[in-house]
Amino acid sequence: MSAISENLRITNDTKNLMAVREFMSRMIRASALPPNEENKVILAVDEAVSNIIEHGYEARIEGYIDITVDVTDEHFKIRIVDTGKNFDPERIRDPNILEHVRAGKRKGLGIFLMRQIMDEVRYIFKEGVHNELILIKYVRPPLPGAPATPPAPPGGNG
Amino acid sequence: MPEFQIKQQKLQGGVVFLAVGGFLDAHTFEQMEKKINDLFEENSYRLIVDLSKLDYISSAGAGVFIGAIGTAQENDGNIVLVNPSPNVKEVFDLLGLSQIFVFASDVNSALQQFSG
Repeated sequence: MSAISENLRITNDTKNLMAVREFMSRMIRASALPPNEENKVILAVDEAVSNIIEHGYEARIEGYIDITVDVTDEHFKIRIVDTGKNFDPERIRDPNILEHVRAGKRKGLGIFLMRQIMDEVRYIFKEGVHNELILIKYVRPPLPGAPATPPAPPGGNG
Repeated sequence: MPEFQIKQQKLQGGVVFLAVGGFLDAHTFEQMEKKINDLFEENSYRLIVDLSKLDYISSAGAGVFIGAIGTAQENDGNIVLVNPSPNVKEVFDLLGLSQIFVFASDVNSALQQFSG
């Protein structure tokens, strides 16, 4: 498979989350990621973009969020760039879910999900320029003994 | 079709059945939150939420149930979740919520959680 790179630019409005998920779905299906990763990787990106919309920009200030996906045989890499307030997910600790529920806290789980799902979550803050969040999922090599390609269906003519 | 829908029905024993469909995310979660808060104001704390038609949930959507289950249980109620799709159940599993919420395969099994 040759490398693919595509970009989606949205404004900071949660109504655009549907377009983000559709874009991600299309890119994942064009990649070598297994189908059981689709919902999870879409979720990780939804969480990242939702956080930027909620925390990155002051209310009523319009801003842009650029989502670039790079697909290779080895990885599925998402780069999310915004020009809102800097917000470093590395400062956020994983929640204790029982305490979270006991306290009735309904927010603060998005970064935890991103870390659960992705192999790498990196944040780069370029002061006065932009914030960059890099999410990477590596394409796992097939298990030893597994066929490299699915077997042809019986009775097929190919 | 709207991105998110909620249908409500009253069942026996003061139980309220909510069937939700579509996408429960950072854009739509306030509709779900308002519906549950309205029910709490009417002293309805026994809720069965059918998730079988819900295509997608993010942490903003799951957060509505996290924020509400404590209030329901403190008032002799609960929130029982019915028949989530594999994608929706996966999110509850990832968040570690499957140990906290009761899941039922159908409405009758969910109703049994409120009997006795």
